[in-house]
Amino acid sequence: MIRIVRSTVIDASTDRVWALLRDFNGHDRWHPAVARSAIERGQSADRLGCVRRFFLRDGSELRERLLTLSDLEQAFSYCLLETPIPLFNYVAHVRLAPVTDSDRTFWEWRCSFSTRQSEEAEMTRMVAEDIYDAGFAAVRTRLAEEGHA
Amino acid sequence: MARVYVSTVINGRSDRVWARLRDFNGLPSWHPGIAESRIENGEPADKIGCVRDFRLRNGDRIREKLLGLSDFDLFCTYSILESPMRVENYVATLRLTPITDGDRTFAEWTAEFDCAAEREVELIASIGSGVFQGGFDALKRQFGG
Repeated sequence: MIRIVRSTVIDASTDRVWALLRDFNGHDRWHPAVARSAIERGQSADRLGCVRRFFLRDGSELRERLLTLSDLEQAFSYCLLETPIPLFNYVAHVRLAPVTDSDRTFWEWRCSFSTRQSEEAEMTRMVAEDIYDAGFAAVRTRLAEEGHA
Repeated sequence: MARVYVSTVINGRSDRVWARLRDFNGLPSWHPGIAESRIENGEPADKIGCVRDFRLRNGDRIREKLLGLSDFDLFCTYSILESPMRVENYVATLRLTPITDGDRTFAEWTAEFDCAAEREVELIASIGSGVFQGGFDALKRQFGG
């Protein structure tokens, strides 16, 4: 079992960051790796158990199920259902917390998964850097642009 | 039930910050409001259930009991046994989380307690901005801003 934890501080209030992240179907609007996304069966994106089917820019298709969504904790969890990438039993958790003495946001993104031994290093790098770190950077840029708009 | 939540970012690795906070008898070494502290009955400061008896710079005396301590999750939970604050059921947790981009630490300090309704606002302010933020400000200075 591989565990990854990445975290950062975003220079915006938790409400602004949460408004962006809360939409389980909205990652195609902020994550650079995601080309397009849709919730299956016409369900709403904040209905627990809903499934998002999305395509990465390289064309691969993935399905993920929403397992937890909390407006109180500003947190959500999801798992991968189908993927062409060798990530097995992938479960991820996102949580936000306010930095009360400077109106910023602590954002933690963690997961656990297993994969083929020969691909552990590459899968770890891909999730940590291409998904999590790239997601942090994209949200940071986007909120900075909004702030100046 | 009144609740206090204060959080900050400290410019130091979480293991270094934890090394300082882990010592349940170590408040005088980092918190500017605390003059002296001792653990009762000669017990070690990382024995769950031990009691610290400490004195603030203004002379107030407080006794607190260690309820939980984790070197894995980097948190310390304690309750007030005796204080001049007139609070009941006071339980607080000080928790650190690593910030992976930049070797910094996210620190959270929470407390829950009961008190007379008319004192709630004042107590939340004095605990939050005074004790907790005062401690965080000192830690931030000690770790270089």
